[in-house]
Amino acid sequence: MKRQKKWIAIFLAPALALFGFVFLISIIRLGITSFTDWTIGTSPTFAGLDNYIYLITEDKEFRQSIVNTLIWIVLQATIHVSIGTILALIIRRQKWYTNFMRSVFMIPNIISSAALGMLFLCIMNPEFGMVNQIIRAVTKSDFSKNWFMGVDTAFFTVTMTWLPYAGLVTILVMAEMASISEGVLEAARVDGATDFQIDTRIVLPMMRNIIGTSTVLAATSMLQKLDIIMMTTNGGPAGKTMNMPLYLYRTALTNNNYGLANTQGVILILMGLIIVALVRGIYRMDKE
Amino acid sequence: MKIVRKVTAGIFLIFIVCISIVPFLWVLSSSFKGNAEIMSSAIGFSGGLRFDNYIKAFQMAPMVTFYKNSIIVAVLSTILNLLVFSMAAYVLVRCKFRLNGIITMLFSAALVIPGAALLQPLYQTLNTAHLYDTLTGLIIVYAALGMPTTLYIMMSYYKTISSTLEEAAYIDGAGFFQTFARIVLPLTRPAFATAGVLQFLLCWNEFQFALTLTTGTEQRTLPIALYYFKSAFASDYGAMFAATVLVTLPSIVVFVLMQKQVISGLAAGAVKE
Repeated sequence: MKRQKKWIAIFLAPALALFGFVFLISIIRLGITSFTDWTIGTSPTFAGLDNYIYLITEDKEFRQSIVNTLIWIVLQATIHVSIGTILALIIRRQKWYTNFMRSVFMIPNIISSAALGMLFLCIMNPEFGMVNQIIRAVTKSDFSKNWFMGVDTAFFTVTMTWLPYAGLVTILVMAEMASISEGVLEAARVDGATDFQIDTRIVLPMMRNIIGTSTVLAATSMLQKLDIIMMTTNGGPAGKTMNMPLYLYRTALTNNNYGLANTQGVILILMGLIIVALVRGIYRMDKE
Repeated sequence: MKIVRKVTAGIFLIFIVCISIVPFLWVLSSSFKGNAEIMSSAIGFSGGLRFDNYIKAFQMAPMVTFYKNSIIVAVLSTILNLLVFSMAAYVLVRCKFRLNGIITMLFSAALVIPGAALLQPLYQTLNTAHLYDTLTGLIIVYAALGMPTTLYIMMSYYKTISSTLEEAAYIDGAGFFQTFARIVLPLTRPAFATAGVLQFLLCWNEFQFALTLTTGTEQRTLPIALYYFKSAFASDYGAMFAATVLVTLPSIVVFVLMQKQVISGLAAGAVKE
Protein backbone atom coordinates (compact mmCIF):
# COMPACT_ATOMS: atom_id res chain seq x y z
CA MET A 1 0.00 0.00 0.00
CA LYS A 2 2.89 2.37 0.70
CA ARG A 3 3.93 2.04 -2.91
CA GLN A 4 0.43 2.88 -4.06
CA LYS A 5 0.48 6.08 -2.01
CA LYS A 6 3.50 7.23 -3.94
CA TRP A 7 1.70 6.62 -7.22
CA ILE A 8 -1.45 8.40 -6.07
CA ALA A 9 0.66 11.45 -5.34
CA ILE A 10 2.46 11.25 -8.69
CA PHE A 11 -0.78 10.84 -10.63
CA LEU A 12 -2.51 13.72 -8.86
CA ALA A 13 0.35 16.21 -8.69
CA PRO A 14 0.13 17.61 -12.24
CA ALA A 15 -3.65 18.04 -11.99
CA LEU A 16 -3.36 19.77 -8.64
CA ALA A 17 -0.62 22.01 -10.01
CA LEU A 18 -2.75 23.07 -12.99
CA PHE A 19 -5.80 23.58 -10.80
CA GLY A 20 -3.82 25.61 -8.31
CA PHE A 21 -2.11 27.75 -10.93
CA VAL A 22 -5.23 28.65 -12.88
CA PHE A 23 -8.13 28.43 -10.42
CA LEU A 24 -6.97 28.45 -6.81
CA ILE A 25 -4.43 31.29 -7.04
CA SER A 26 -6.92 33.33 -9.06
CA ILE A 27 -9.71 32.92 -6.56
CA ILE A 28 -7.46 33.81 -3.64
CA ARG A 29 -6.28 36.89 -5.54
CA LEU A 30 -9.89 37.82 -6.34
CA GLY A 31 -11.10 37.47 -2.79
CA ILE A 32 -8.28 39.52 -1.30
CA THR A 33 -8.01 42.29 -3.89
CA SER A 34 -11.77 42.84 -4.02
CA PHE A 35 -11.34 44.60 -0.67
CA THR A 36 -8.57 46.87 -1.89
CA ASP A 37 -8.17 50.08 -3.79
CA TRP A 38 -5.90 49.05 -6.65
CA THR A 39 -5.28 50.61 -10.03
CA ILE A 40 -2.46 50.09 -12.52
CA GLY A 41 0.90 51.30 -11.31
CA THR A 42 -0.12 51.45 -7.64
CA SER A 43 -0.01 48.73 -5.06
CA PRO A 44 -3.25 47.55 -3.46
CA THR A 45 -4.32 49.33 -0.28
CA PHE A 46 -7.01 47.98 2.00
CA ALA A 47 -10.35 49.66 1.39
CA GLY A 48 -12.82 47.46 3.21
CA LEU A 49 -16.18 47.20 1.49
CA ASP A 50 -15.70 50.44 -0.51
CA ASN A 51 -15.67 48.67 -3.90
CA TYR A 52 -18.81 46.71 -3.14
CA ILE A 53 -20.63 49.78 -1.83
CA TYR A 54 -19.57 51.88 -4.82
CA LEU A 55 -20.67 49.26 -7.35
CA ILE A 56 -24.04 48.67 -5.76
CA THR A 57 -25.01 52.22 -4.82
CA GLU A 58 -23.23 54.52 -7.25
CA ASP A 59 -22.14 52.82 -10.44
CA LYS A 60 -25.09 53.21 -12.82
CA GLU A 61 -23.34 51.42 -15.69
CA PHE A 62 -22.68 48.42 -13.48
CA ARG A 63 -26.31 48.38 -12.45
CA GLN A 64 -27.39 48.38 -16.08
CA SER A 65 -25.00 45.54 -16.81
CA ILE A 66 -26.55 43.53 -13.96
CA VAL A 67 -30.08 44.24 -15.19
CA ASN A 68 -29.20 43.20 -18.75
CA THR A 69 -27.43 40.07 -17.53
CA LEU A 70 -30.42 39.13 -15.37
CA ILE A 71 -32.87 39.59 -18.26
CA TRP A 72 -30.68 37.42 -20.45
CA ILE A 73 -30.42 34.77 -17.73
CA VAL A 74 -34.22 34.60 -17.39
CA LEU A 75 -34.75 34.45 -21.16
CA GLN A 76 -32.11 31.77 -21.55
CA ALA A 77 -33.43 29.71 -18.64
CA THR A 78 -36.96 29.73 -20.06
CA ILE A 79 -37.23 30.28 -23.83
CA HIS A 80 -33.86 28.79 -24.78
CA VAL A 81 -34.42 25.66 -22.70
CA SER A 82 -37.98 25.32 -24.03
CA ILE A 83 -36.84 25.48 -27.64
CA GLY A 84 -34.27 22.74 -27.07
CA THR A 85 -36.75 20.57 -25.16
CA ILE A 86 -39.53 20.98 -27.74
CA LEU A 87 -37.18 19.94 -30.52
CA ALA A 88 -36.12 16.90 -28.50
CA LEU A 89 -39.78 15.93 -28.06
CA ILE A 90 -40.49 16.32 -31.77
CA ILE A 91 -37.54 14.26 -32.98
CA ARG A 92 -37.72 11.78 -30.09
CA ARG A 93 -39.25 8.95 -32.14
CA GLN A 94 -36.41 7.89 -34.41
CA LYS A 95 -37.19 9.28 -37.83
CA TRP A 96 -34.98 9.69 -40.86
CA TYR A 97 -34.21 13.26 -39.91
CA THR A 98 -33.56 12.76 -36.18
CA ASN A 99 -29.77 12.58 -36.33
CA PHE A 100 -29.62 15.20 -39.05
CA MET A 101 -31.65 17.67 -36.99
CA ARG A 102 -29.64 17.05 -33.86
CA SER A 103 -26.33 17.62 -35.63
CA VAL A 104 -27.43 20.65 -37.64
CA PHE A 105 -28.79 22.33 -34.52
CA MET A 106 -25.47 21.73 -32.78
CA ILE A 107 -23.38 23.56 -35.40
CA PRO A 108 -23.95 27.10 -34.03
CA ASN A 109 -22.93 25.77 -30.62
CA ILE A 110 -19.59 24.35 -31.71
CA ILE A 111 -18.26 27.18 -33.86
CA SER A 112 -16.32 29.92 -32.14
CA SER A 113 -18.52 32.67 -30.67
CA ALA A 114 -16.24 35.24 -32.23
CA ALA A 115 -16.94 33.73 -35.63
CA LEU A 116 -20.63 33.50 -34.84
CA GLY A 117 -20.53 37.21 -33.98
CA MET A 118 -18.84 37.93 -37.31
CA LEU A 119 -21.44 35.80 -39.05
CA PHE A 120 -24.22 37.83 -37.48
CA LEU A 121 -22.46 41.11 -38.28
CA CYS A 122 -22.53 40.00 -41.90
CA ILE A 123 -26.13 38.84 -42.11
CA MET A 124 -27.48 41.80 -40.10
CA ASN A 125 -25.46 44.42 -41.99
CA PRO A 126 -27.70 47.38 -42.85
CA GLU A 127 -26.60 47.57 -46.50
CA PHE A 128 -25.76 44.13 -47.79
CA GLY A 129 -26.91 41.86 -44.93
CA MET A 130 -29.11 38.90 -45.74
CA VAL A 131 -31.89 39.92 -43.36
CA ASN A 132 -32.36 43.39 -44.77
CA GLN A 133 -32.08 42.08 -48.33
CA ILE A 134 -34.87 39.60 -47.67
CA ILE A 135 -37.07 42.28 -46.08
CA ARG A 136 -36.37 44.59 -49.02
CA ALA A 137 -37.27 41.86 -51.50
CA VAL A 138 -40.48 40.96 -49.69
CA THR A 139 -41.73 44.48 -49.00
CA LYS A 140 -40.30 45.99 -52.17
CA SER A 141 -39.15 48.95 -50.11
CA ASP A 142 -35.91 50.70 -49.27
CA PHE A 143 -35.72 48.98 -45.89
CA SER A 144 -32.44 49.62 -44.11
CA LYS A 145 -32.23 48.97 -40.40
CA ASN A 146 -29.01 48.99 -38.46
CA TRP A 147 -29.92 46.04 -36.27
CA PHE A 148 -26.89 46.00 -34.00
CA MET A 149 -26.45 49.75 -33.61
CA GLY A 150 -30.06 50.90 -33.40
CA VAL A 151 -31.04 51.86 -29.84
CA ASP A 152 -34.36 50.06 -30.17
CA THR A 153 -33.10 46.89 -31.87
CA ALA A 154 -29.64 46.22 -30.37
CA PHE A 155 -30.77 44.25 -27.33
CA PHE A 156 -33.13 42.11 -29.38
CA THR A 157 -30.54 41.45 -32.08
CA VAL A 158 -27.84 40.45 -29.61
CA THR A 159 -30.32 38.18 -27.83
CA MET A 160 -31.08 36.44 -31.10
CA THR A 161 -27.43 35.47 -31.51
CA TRP A 162 -27.80 32.91 -28.72
CA LEU A 163 -31.43 32.51 -27.62
CA PRO A 164 -32.60 30.11 -30.38
CA TYR A 165 -29.41 28.03 -30.48
CA ALA A 166 -30.33 25.33 -28.00
CA GLY A 167 -28.58 22.37 -29.65
CA LEU A 168 -26.87 21.39 -26.42
CA VAL A 169 -30.20 21.29 -24.56
CA THR A 170 -31.63 19.02 -27.27
CA ILE A 171 -28.67 16.65 -27.03
CA LEU A 172 -28.87 16.44 -23.25
CA VAL A 173 -32.64 15.93 -23.12
CA MET A 174 -32.51 13.31 -25.89
CA ALA A 175 -29.81 11.38 -24.07
CA GLU A 176 -32.04 11.24 -20.99
CA MET A 177 -35.05 10.25 -23.11
CA ALA A 178 -33.12 7.27 -24.40
CA SER A 179 -33.09 5.90 -20.85
CA ILE A 180 -36.90 5.73 -20.54
CA SER A 181 -38.00 2.12 -20.64
CA GLU A 182 -40.17 1.21 -23.63
CA GLY A 183 -42.50 -0.69 -21.26
CA VAL A 184 -43.80 2.49 -19.64
CA LEU A 185 -44.64 4.09 -22.98
CA GLU A 186 -46.13 0.85 -24.31
CA ALA A 187 -48.41 0.60 -21.26
CA ALA A 188 -49.64 4.16 -21.83
CA ARG A 189 -50.32 3.40 -25.48
CA VAL A 190 -52.30 0.28 -24.55
CA ASP A 191 -54.38 2.42 -22.19
CA GLY A 192 -55.26 4.62 -25.15
CA ALA A 193 -52.98 7.62 -24.55
CA THR A 194 -52.30 9.73 -27.63
CA ASP A 195 -48.76 10.64 -28.67
CA PHE A 196 -49.35 14.14 -27.39
CA GLN A 197 -50.49 12.88 -24.00
CA ILE A 198 -47.51 10.54 -23.77
CA ASP A 199 -45.16 13.43 -24.54
CA THR A 200 -46.64 15.89 -22.07
CA ARG A 201 -47.82 13.64 -19.24
CA ILE A 202 -45.19 10.90 -19.18
CA VAL A 203 -42.01 11.84 -21.01
CA LEU A 204 -41.77 15.49 -19.97
CA PRO A 205 -42.16 14.94 -16.20
CA MET A 206 -39.43 12.28 -16.39
CA MET A 207 -37.11 14.91 -17.88
CA ARG A 208 -37.21 17.12 -14.78
CA ASN A 209 -33.63 16.50 -13.72
CA ILE A 210 -32.02 16.94 -17.12
CA ILE A 211 -34.10 20.04 -17.85
CA GLY A 212 -32.86 21.37 -14.53
CA THR A 213 -29.26 20.62 -15.52
CA SER A 214 -29.82 22.27 -18.91
CA THR A 215 -31.29 25.30 -17.19
CA VAL A 216 -28.23 25.58 -14.93
CA LEU A 217 -25.94 25.42 -17.97
CA ALA A 218 -28.04 27.85 -20.01
CA ALA A 219 -28.42 30.37 -17.18
CA THR A 220 -24.77 30.33 -16.11
CA SER A 221 -23.63 30.62 -19.75
CA MET A 222 -25.06 34.16 -19.61
CA LEU A 223 -22.37 35.02 -17.06
CA GLN A 224 -19.77 34.13 -19.70
CA LYS A 225 -20.97 36.00 -22.78
CA LEU A 226 -18.15 38.31 -23.75
CA ASP A 227 -16.88 37.36 -27.18
CA ILE A 228 -20.08 37.69 -29.18
CA ILE A 229 -20.96 41.06 -27.63
CA MET A 230 -17.46 42.40 -28.22
CA MET A 231 -17.65 41.31 -31.83
CA THR A 232 -21.05 42.86 -32.51
CA THR A 233 -22.11 45.83 -30.37
CA ASN A 234 -19.31 46.12 -27.82
CA GLY A 235 -21.94 46.89 -25.19
CA GLY A 236 -23.48 49.77 -27.09
CA PRO A 237 -25.43 51.70 -28.10
CA ALA A 238 -25.54 53.66 -24.83
CA GLY A 239 -24.97 50.56 -22.71
CA LYS A 240 -28.07 48.83 -24.09
CA THR A 241 -26.20 45.54 -24.53
CA MET A 242 -23.64 45.89 -21.74
CA ASN A 243 -23.38 42.80 -19.57
CA MET A 244 -21.34 41.88 -16.50
CA PRO A 245 -18.41 40.09 -18.18
CA LEU A 246 -17.93 42.92 -20.67
CA TYR A 247 -18.11 45.57 -17.95
CA LEU A 248 -15.60 43.61 -15.90
CA TYR A 249 -13.31 43.34 -18.90
CA ARG A 250 -13.50 47.11 -19.44
CA THR A 251 -12.88 47.92 -15.80
CA ALA A 252 -9.84 45.64 -15.70
CA LEU A 253 -8.25 46.13 -19.09
CA THR A 254 -9.42 49.50 -20.38
CA ASN A 255 -9.69 51.47 -17.13
CA ASN A 256 -7.08 49.33 -15.36
CA ASN A 257 -9.00 49.53 -12.11
CA TYR A 258 -8.04 46.10 -10.80
CA GLY A 259 -9.66 46.38 -7.36
CA LEU A 260 -13.03 47.28 -8.81
CA ALA A 261 -12.75 44.62 -11.51
CA ASN A 262 -12.00 41.90 -9.00
CA THR A 263 -14.93 42.95 -6.85
CA GLN A 264 -17.06 42.41 -9.94
CA GLY A 265 -15.38 39.03 -10.34
CA VAL A 266 -16.43 38.05 -6.83
CA ILE A 267 -19.99 39.22 -7.51
CA LEU A 268 -19.99 37.26 -10.77
CA ILE A 269 -18.95 34.05 -9.00
CA LEU A 270 -21.52 34.60 -6.24
CA MET A 271 -24.24 35.09 -8.86
CA GLY A 272 -23.21 31.83 -10.49
CA LEU A 273 -23.53 29.99 -7.19
CA ILE A 274 -26.91 31.59 -6.45
CA ILE A 275 -28.22 30.62 -9.88
CA VAL A 276 -27.11 27.01 -9.43
CA ALA A 277 -28.76 26.83 -6.00
CA LEU A 278 -31.93 28.54 -7.23
CA VAL A 279 -32.43 26.34 -10.27
CA ARG A 280 -31.67 23.20 -8.29
CA GLY A 281 -34.34 24.30 -5.82
CA ILE A 282 -36.94 25.14 -8.46
CA TYR A 283 -36.49 21.81 -10.22
CA ARG A 284 -36.19 19.96 -6.90
CA MET A 285 -33.02 18.37 -8.26
CA ASP A 286 -31.71 17.20 -4.91
CA LYS A 287 -34.77 15.09 -4.18
CA GLU A 288 -35.84 12.06 -6.09
CA MET B 1 -56.00 18.43 -34.52
CA LYS B 2 -53.33 15.92 -35.39
CA ILE B 3 -52.72 17.58 -38.74
CA VAL B 4 -52.34 21.00 -37.11
CA ARG B 5 -49.78 19.59 -34.73
CA LYS B 6 -47.85 17.90 -37.53
CA VAL B 7 -47.73 21.11 -39.56
CA THR B 8 -46.64 23.16 -36.55
CA ALA B 9 -43.91 20.65 -35.81
CA GLY B 10 -42.83 20.75 -39.45
CA ILE B 11 -42.62 24.54 -39.46
CA PHE B 12 -40.64 24.43 -36.21
CA LEU B 13 -38.15 21.94 -37.70
CA ILE B 14 -37.70 24.03 -40.85
CA PHE B 15 -37.20 27.13 -38.71
CA ILE B 16 -34.48 25.34 -36.69
CA VAL B 17 -32.65 24.19 -39.83
CA CYS B 18 -32.87 27.68 -41.31
CA ILE B 19 -31.47 29.56 -38.33
CA SER B 20 -28.75 26.95 -37.84
CA ILE B 21 -27.21 26.71 -41.28
CA VAL B 22 -28.59 29.42 -43.56
CA PRO B 23 -26.43 32.20 -42.04
CA PHE B 24 -23.33 30.08 -42.55
CA LEU B 25 -24.29 29.03 -46.08
CA TRP B 26 -25.03 32.64 -46.99
CA VAL B 27 -21.63 33.80 -45.74
CA LEU B 28 -19.98 30.84 -47.47
CA SER B 29 -21.58 31.66 -50.82
CA SER B 30 -20.93 35.40 -50.43
CA SER B 31 -17.26 34.69 -49.77
CA PHE B 32 -16.93 33.64 -53.40
CA LYS B 33 -18.48 36.84 -54.74
CA GLY B 34 -17.05 40.23 -55.63
CA ASN B 35 -17.99 43.27 -53.53
CA ALA B 36 -20.33 44.59 -56.22
CA GLU B 37 -22.26 41.34 -56.32
CA ILE B 38 -22.48 41.20 -52.52
CA MET B 39 -24.07 44.64 -52.48
CA SER B 40 -26.56 43.91 -55.21
CA SER B 41 -28.03 40.42 -54.98
CA ALA B 42 -28.62 37.83 -52.30
CA ILE B 43 -28.50 34.74 -54.47
CA GLY B 44 -26.58 33.42 -57.48
CA PHE B 45 -23.06 33.78 -58.82
CA SER B 46 -23.37 36.12 -61.80
CA GLY B 47 -19.62 36.69 -61.82
CA GLY B 48 -18.69 33.03 -61.35
CA LEU B 49 -16.85 31.51 -58.40
CA ARG B 50 -14.00 33.73 -57.26
CA PHE B 51 -11.29 33.00 -54.78
CA ASP B 52 -9.82 36.52 -54.60
CA ASN B 53 -11.52 37.14 -51.26
CA TYR B 54 -9.54 34.36 -49.66
CA ILE B 55 -6.30 35.62 -51.19
CA LYS B 56 -7.15 39.11 -49.95
CA ALA B 57 -7.94 37.82 -46.45
CA PHE B 58 -4.50 36.24 -46.29
CA GLN B 59 -2.91 39.46 -47.51
CA MET B 60 -4.77 41.80 -45.16
CA ALA B 61 -4.01 39.86 -41.98
CA PRO B 62 -1.23 37.41 -41.12
CA MET B 63 -3.71 34.54 -41.26
CA VAL B 64 -0.95 31.94 -41.59
CA THR B 65 0.53 32.97 -38.23
CA PHE B 66 -2.91 32.90 -36.60
CA TYR B 67 -3.64 29.47 -38.04
CA LYS B 68 -0.28 28.18 -36.87
CA ASN B 69 -0.84 29.58 -33.36
CA SER B 70 -4.34 28.17 -33.12
CA ILE B 71 -3.16 24.71 -34.20
CA ILE B 72 -0.18 24.71 -31.82
CA VAL B 73 -2.26 25.87 -28.87
CA ALA B 74 -5.20 23.54 -29.55
CA VAL B 75 -3.08 20.42 -30.16
CA LEU B 76 -0.61 20.86 -27.30
CA SER B 77 -3.23 21.96 -24.83
CA THR B 78 -5.41 18.96 -25.71
CA ILE B 79 -2.46 16.60 -25.18
CA LEU B 80 -1.55 18.23 -21.86
CA ASN B 81 -5.17 18.23 -20.69
CA LEU B 82 -5.75 14.56 -21.57
CA LEU B 83 -2.46 13.43 -20.08
CA VAL B 84 -2.86 15.22 -16.76
CA PHE B 85 -6.55 14.59 -16.16
CA SER B 86 -6.73 11.01 -17.39
CA MET B 87 -4.16 10.20 -14.68
CA ALA B 88 -5.95 12.23 -12.02
CA ALA B 89 -9.34 10.79 -12.92
CA TYR B 90 -7.96 7.25 -12.71
CA VAL B 91 -6.65 7.73 -9.20
CA LEU B 92 -9.83 9.48 -8.08
CA VAL B 93 -11.99 6.60 -9.33
CA ARG B 94 -9.83 3.61 -8.40
CA CYS B 95 -7.93 4.50 -5.25
CA LYS B 96 -9.20 5.06 -1.74
CA PHE B 97 -7.40 7.79 0.16
CA ARG B 98 -8.35 10.41 2.68
CA LEU B 99 -8.42 13.52 0.44
CA ASN B 100 -10.25 11.83 -2.43
CA GLY B 101 -13.66 13.39 -1.75
CA ILE B 102 -12.29 16.87 -1.17
CA ILE B 103 -10.18 16.86 -4.32
CA THR B 104 -13.06 15.62 -6.46
CA MET B 105 -15.28 18.35 -5.03
CA LEU B 106 -12.66 21.07 -5.57
CA PHE B 107 -12.17 20.01 -9.17
CA SER B 108 -15.89 20.00 -9.95
CA ALA B 109 -16.35 23.39 -8.31
CA ALA B 110 -14.30 24.83 -11.17
CA LEU B 111 -17.28 24.16 -13.44
CA VAL B 112 -19.38 26.96 -11.96
CA ILE B 113 -16.72 29.69 -12.05
CA PRO B 114 -17.45 32.20 -14.83
CA GLY B 115 -14.30 32.67 -16.90
CA ALA B 116 -14.55 36.45 -16.91
CA ALA B 117 -13.97 36.51 -13.14
CA LEU B 118 -10.52 34.98 -13.70
CA LEU B 119 -9.37 37.42 -16.38
CA GLN B 120 -7.51 39.90 -14.19
CA PRO B 121 -6.06 37.44 -11.64
CA LEU B 122 -4.78 35.18 -14.42
CA TYR B 123 -3.27 38.13 -16.23
CA GLN B 124 -1.45 38.94 -13.00
CA THR B 125 -0.32 35.36 -12.38
CA LEU B 126 0.95 34.87 -15.92
CA ASN B 127 2.79 38.17 -15.75
CA THR B 128 4.56 37.08 -12.59
CA ALA B 129 5.40 33.72 -14.11
CA HIS B 130 6.72 35.39 -17.30
CA LEU B 131 4.12 33.52 -19.32
CA TYR B 132 2.13 36.58 -20.39
CA ASP B 133 1.88 36.90 -24.17
CA THR B 134 3.25 33.41 -24.78
CA LEU B 135 1.63 30.41 -26.41
CA THR B 136 2.82 28.34 -23.43
CA GLY B 137 0.71 30.48 -21.12
CA LEU B 138 -2.38 29.92 -23.25
CA ILE B 139 -1.70 26.18 -23.46
CA ILE B 140 -1.54 25.89 -19.67
CA VAL B 141 -4.64 28.02 -19.07
CA TYR B 142 -6.70 26.13 -21.66
CA ALA B 143 -5.62 22.76 -20.31
CA ALA B 144 -6.98 23.79 -16.91
CA LEU B 145 -10.15 25.38 -18.33
CA GLY B 146 -11.14 22.06 -19.88
CA MET B 147 -10.52 20.25 -16.62
CA PRO B 148 -14.11 19.77 -15.39
CA THR B 149 -15.30 18.27 -18.69
CA THR B 150 -12.32 15.99 -19.25
CA LEU B 151 -12.33 14.83 -15.66
CA TYR B 152 -16.03 14.06 -15.83
CA ILE B 153 -15.82 12.10 -19.06
CA MET B 154 -12.76 10.13 -17.94
CA MET B 155 -14.16 9.38 -14.48
CA SER B 156 -17.49 8.14 -15.76
CA TYR B 157 -15.66 5.96 -18.29
CA TYR B 158 -13.30 4.41 -15.75
CA LYS B 159 -16.31 3.54 -13.63
CA THR B 160 -17.71 1.41 -16.46
CA ILE B 161 -14.52 -0.66 -16.79
CA SER B 162 -14.39 -3.66 -14.49
CA SER B 163 -11.30 -3.68 -12.30
CA THR B 164 -10.75 -7.46 -12.59
CA LEU B 165 -8.22 -7.01 -15.40
CA GLU B 166 -6.19 -4.62 -13.29
CA GLU B 167 -6.31 -6.97 -10.28
CA ALA B 168 -5.10 -9.80 -12.50
CA ALA B 169 -2.23 -7.63 -13.68
CA TYR B 170 -1.23 -6.85 -10.08
CA ILE B 171 -1.27 -10.56 -9.20
CA ASP B 172 1.00 -11.17 -12.19
CA GLY B 173 3.40 -8.71 -10.61
CA ALA B 174 2.78 -5.64 -12.74
CA GLY B 175 3.37 -2.28 -11.04
CA PHE B 176 0.88 0.55 -10.65
CA PHE B 177 2.14 2.58 -13.57
CA GLN B 178 2.59 -0.44 -15.80
CA THR B 179 -0.99 -1.56 -15.15
CA PHE B 180 -2.28 1.91 -15.94
CA ALA B 181 -0.26 2.32 -19.13
CA ARG B 182 -0.61 -1.19 -20.54
CA ILE B 183 -4.04 -2.33 -19.36
CA VAL B 184 -6.19 0.70 -18.54
CA LEU B 185 -5.18 3.25 -21.16
CA PRO B 186 -5.86 1.02 -24.20
CA LEU B 187 -9.35 0.31 -22.84
CA THR B 188 -10.05 4.03 -22.38
CA ARG B 189 -9.47 5.03 -26.00
CA PRO B 190 -13.12 6.05 -26.66
CA ALA B 191 -13.12 8.39 -23.67
CA PHE B 192 -9.89 9.98 -24.93
CA ALA B 193 -11.52 10.60 -28.31
CA THR B 194 -14.56 12.23 -26.72
CA ALA B 195 -12.69 14.37 -24.22
CA GLY B 196 -10.08 15.20 -26.85
CA VAL B 197 -12.57 16.56 -29.39
CA LEU B 198 -14.32 18.71 -26.79
CA GLN B 199 -11.01 20.05 -25.50
CA PHE B 200 -9.81 20.78 -29.04
CA LEU B 201 -12.97 22.73 -29.83
CA LEU B 202 -12.68 24.65 -26.57
CA CYS B 203 -9.13 25.75 -27.40
CA TRP B 204 -9.90 26.47 -31.03
CA ASN B 205 -12.87 28.69 -30.17
CA GLU B 206 -11.68 30.37 -26.97
CA PHE B 207 -11.78 34.14 -27.05
CA GLN B 208 -11.64 36.03 -23.76
CA PHE B 209 -8.43 34.56 -22.35
CA ALA B 210 -6.65 34.72 -25.68
CA LEU B 211 -7.66 38.38 -25.81
CA THR B 212 -6.48 39.19 -22.29
CA LEU B 213 -3.38 37.03 -22.05
CA THR B 214 -1.70 37.84 -25.36
CA THR B 215 -0.84 41.17 -26.88
CA GLY B 216 1.27 40.83 -30.00
CA THR B 217 0.22 39.62 -33.45
CA GLU B 218 2.84 36.89 -33.10
CA GLN B 219 0.90 35.10 -30.34
CA ARG B 220 -2.66 35.66 -31.45
CA THR B 221 -5.08 32.88 -32.26
CA LEU B 222 -7.79 32.89 -34.93
CA PRO B 223 -10.83 34.13 -32.94
CA ILE B 224 -8.79 37.11 -31.72
CA ALA B 225 -7.58 37.76 -35.23
CA LEU B 226 -11.20 38.17 -36.29
CA TYR B 227 -11.66 40.75 -33.57
CA TYR B 228 -8.58 42.80 -34.34
CA PHE B 229 -9.04 42.74 -38.06
CA LYS B 230 -12.76 43.40 -37.91
CA SER B 231 -12.21 47.03 -38.80
CA ALA B 232 -9.62 46.23 -41.45
CA PHE B 233 -11.97 43.71 -43.04
CA ALA B 234 -14.95 46.03 -42.73
CA SER B 235 -13.76 48.02 -45.73
CA ASP B 236 -13.72 44.86 -47.81
CA TYR B 237 -16.81 42.74 -47.24
CA GLY B 238 -15.60 39.88 -49.39
CA ALA B 239 -12.46 39.45 -47.31
CA MET B 240 -14.56 39.65 -44.14
CA PHE B 241 -16.73 36.78 -45.36
CA ALA B 242 -13.69 34.76 -46.35
CA ALA B 243 -12.04 35.29 -42.96
CA THR B 244 -15.23 34.21 -41.17
CA VAL B 245 -15.32 31.02 -43.23
CA LEU B 246 -11.64 30.35 -42.55
CA VAL B 247 -12.20 30.49 -38.78
CA THR B 248 -15.49 28.60 -38.74
CA LEU B 249 -14.80 25.77 -41.16
CA PRO B 250 -12.26 23.79 -39.06
CA SER B 251 -14.71 23.60 -36.13
CA ILE B 252 -17.50 22.40 -38.40
CA VAL B 253 -15.25 19.80 -40.07
CA VAL B 254 -14.02 18.47 -36.71
CA PHE B 255 -17.60 18.31 -35.45
CA VAL B 256 -18.97 16.57 -38.54
CA LEU B 257 -16.18 13.97 -38.48
CA MET B 258 -16.39 13.36 -34.73
CA GLN B 259 -20.03 14.14 -33.97
CA LYS B 260 -20.67 10.74 -32.39
CA GLN B 261 -17.94 11.43 -29.81
CA VAL B 262 -19.03 15.01 -29.22
CA ILE B 263 -22.69 14.13 -28.69
CA SER B 264 -22.05 11.11 -26.48
CA GLY B 265 -19.47 13.03 -24.48
CA LEU B 266 -21.71 16.00 -23.78
CA ALA B 267 -24.54 13.65 -22.86
CA ALA B 268 -22.37 11.51 -20.57
CA GLY B 269 -21.19 14.56 -18.69
CA ALA B 270 -24.62 15.85 -17.73
CA VAL B 271 -26.94 12.86 -17.65
CA LYS B 272 -25.05 10.90 -15.04
CA GLU B 273 -24.91 13.85 -12.68
